[in-house]
Amino acid sequence: MDQGFTFSVFLVAWLTAAIRLSGPLLLAALGETFSERSGLLNIGIEGTMLLGAITSYLVTLWTGSPWLGLLAAMLIGLLANTFLAWMYVQVQANQVVVGIIFNILALGVASYTYRLSMEGVTGPQKVAMFEPIPIPGLAAIPIVGPILFTHSILLYLTVALVAVAAFVLYRTRFGLQLRAAGENPRAGSAAGIDIVRMRYAGVLISGIAAAAAGAYLVLVQVGLFRETIVAGQGFIALAIVIFGRWDPWKVAIAAFVFGAADALQLSLQLFQVGLPPQLLLSLPYLLTILAMSGILGKTHQPEALMASYRRE
Amino acid sequence: MKGFSVERRLMPVDTSLSLALITLLSVVAALVIGGVLMMPFGANPFLAYWQLFEAGFATWRGFGFTLVKAAPLIMVGLATICAWRTGFAYLGFEGCLLIGAAAATWTAMQALPGAVLEGVPFFMFLPMVIAVSMLSGAIWSGIVGYFKSRFGGNEVITSLMMNYVAIFLVQYLVSGPLRAKGDLPVSPRLPENTWLPYLFDGSRAHLGIVMALVATLLVWVLLLKSRVGYELIVTGLNPKAARYGGINVGTRQLLASFLAGGLAAMAGTVDILGVHHRLVDGLAEGTGFVGIVVALLGKLNPIGCVIAAILYAGLTVGADAMQRQAGLPASVIFIVQSLIILFVLASDILRYYRISRVGPAKTTPVEVSG
Repeated sequence: MDQGFTFSVFLVAWLTAAIRLSGPLLLAALGETFSERSGLLNIGIEGTMLLGAITSYLVTLWTGSPWLGLLAAMLIGLLANTFLAWMYVQVQANQVVVGIIFNILALGVASYTYRLSMEGVTGPQKVAMFEPIPIPGLAAIPIVGPILFTHSILLYLTVALVAVAAFVLYRTRFGLQLRAAGENPRAGSAAGIDIVRMRYAGVLISGIAAAAAGAYLVLVQVGLFRETIVAGQGFIALAIVIFGRWDPWKVAIAAFVFGAADALQLSLQLFQVGLPPQLLLSLPYLLTILAMSGILGKTHQPEALMASYRRE
Repeated sequence: MKGFSVERRLMPVDTSLSLALITLLSVVAALVIGGVLMMPFGANPFLAYWQLFEAGFATWRGFGFTLVKAAPLIMVGLATICAWRTGFAYLGFEGCLLIGAAAATWTAMQALPGAVLEGVPFFMFLPMVIAVSMLSGAIWSGIVGYFKSRFGGNEVITSLMMNYVAIFLVQYLVSGPLRAKGDLPVSPRLPENTWLPYLFDGSRAHLGIVMALVATLLVWVLLLKSRVGYELIVTGLNPKAARYGGINVGTRQLLASFLAGGLAAMAGTVDILGVHHRLVDGLAEGTGFVGIVVALLGKLNPIGCVIAAILYAGLTVGADAMQRQAGLPASVIFIVQSLIILFVLASDILRYYRISRVGPAKTTPVEVSG
C-alpha cells in the first residue's frame, strides 16, 4: 500500500513535469512543422525563441501584463522571420548557414538588449507570469486530474493549436498549397500556386510560434531572462518535428516523449537509480536517428525540403 | 531625362573585384552598425575598434590567442570542405569534435602515472593520439555516411541528432568512466608530456596551429591535386554524371564522411591537448557550427578557409579584450561578426543585378537584318 502510494506520487510528479517541459517544445515544433512542410528547414527558431524570450521579459517588466509581453514577442518573431524568409526564399542562401548565423546574431542582440535595459538595475527582476489554472471539477480527478488539468493557459492553448494546425494543414486550401510547395514546387507552380508566398507563410508561422515558445519559457516557467534560457530547445524542437514525421498529432506525441525523457532523468536522479541519466536523455535522439537512417525503410519527408526554388 | 535602370543578369557577376567590393561593403556596414551600438555605453567606436584590432592581431600575445582559437576552426572548416564538396551535407562536426576530444583524453590518460604509456615521449605520443582520435571521429561520422550510402538516409537530420548523442556521451564520460576524484565532473588533468608544446615564449600559441596548417596542405593536395579528390568533387558536383563515368558514388560519400569525421575530431584533440588539458562538459561551444561558416566564407577552398578562420578567431579574441578594457559588451562584436556574414550572403542577390545609366529615350533606328 505504502509502495503503491509512493509510486502514484512519483507518477504524478513525473508526468506533470513531462507535460510542463514539453509545452514550449510543442509550440515551437508545431510552427516548424509548417516551415518544413513548405520546404524550408528553419534552424533560426533557436534564435527566434531567444528573441521572443527577451522581448516578452522586457515588455512584461515594463507593462506588468504577460499578455502584452506574449504579443510583443510574437510581433518580433514575425519581423525577424520576415528577414529569414527573405534570405531563404529570395536570396536562396544556404538554409543551414543562414539559420546558424541568425542564431548567433540573436544571441548577440538579446544579450545586448538585456544589458542595455538593465543598466543601473541591481539583482534579477521577476516579472508577472501566467499562473496555473486548475480546471474546476476535472482537476480533482485522482492522478489524471493533477497531471492534465493544473497547467497554465498557454499549455491549454498550445494543445488546442495541435488540432488547429492539423485542420489547417490537411483540411484547408492554404494547407494543401503549403504542402504542395514543400513536395513539388514546380508542379504546384504550374497549378497556379504562389510557391514564394507559401514558403514565406511557412517561415512566418514558425517564427511567430517560436517567439511565443520563448515567451512561454519566461512567462510560465522562469519569470526571469537569462542568456541560457533557450539552451538548445529550438534544436530539440527540430528533432521533435522529424520524430513526429511532420504531422501535428504525431509531433504532439513526440514533444511529450522528449519532455517525459527529460522529466524522468530529473526524477531518477532524485531516486538514485544506477542508470546514467544521459542514456535516457539521448534515447529520443537515438530513436530519431534510427527513424531517419533509412534502415526501417524510407521515411516520407517533404520531398522538396531544403531544395531551393526559383520562379521560371 | 537621365536615370538608372536595373536589369537582372542571367548569371551573377563573379569577378574578384566585385566580390572584394561586396565583402568590403559588408564589413564596413556591419562595423558602422556596431559603432552605433557602442554609443549608449559612452565608448568611442574608433578607439574600441582599434583596441579590438590590437588585441586580436597586433600584439604578440593576442595573436597567439587568435591562433589558438583558429586551429580548431580550421580543422572543422577542412572537414566541411571534404564533406560538402562531395555532396555529403554533414552537420555533425560538433559531435565529431567532442568524440575527438574524448578519444584524445582517453589516450592521454594512458600516460598517467601507473598506466601503460607512463613517461612516453611526446614525439611518440603525438602519432598515437592523432591515429586514435581521427579513427574515432571517422567511425562516428561514418555511421551517418553508411546510413546515407547504404540506405539513402537523410544525413542532414541524422548528423544533427548525432551531435546531441555526442554531448550526452561526453557528459556521461566525465561523470563516470573518465571522472577524476573530486567534486567536479571532469577528467583528471592530463600529464604534461602529452600537452601540445607552446611555439614561442610569451604566447599561448601551441602546436595545434601547425597541425592545422599541415592538414590544410594535405587536404589541398588530396582534394585538388589527386585522382581521388577529383572523383570526390565530381561526385559532389553531379552524382548522376559521376555514376555514369564509372565512379561509385556511395563509396566516395562514405570516404568523404570518414575524412570529415577524422578532421573534425582533430579540432577536439588540439583543444584538449593544447588548451584545456582535461575533458570537461560544454567543451564545443558551437565551434563545430562556426567552422562550417568559416569554410563557406572561404568559398569551400582550403586556403580561403584558413584566412577566414584566422579573421574570425581574431575578432572573437578582440571582442573579449574590448569587453575587459572598454567595458563594452562583447555581444556587440558577436552582432558585428554575424552581420558581416549575413550581409555577404545577402549581397549575393546584388550580384544578379546590373545598374546602368540610361540616357534620354531616343529613337534608335530599327536594324533590319536580312
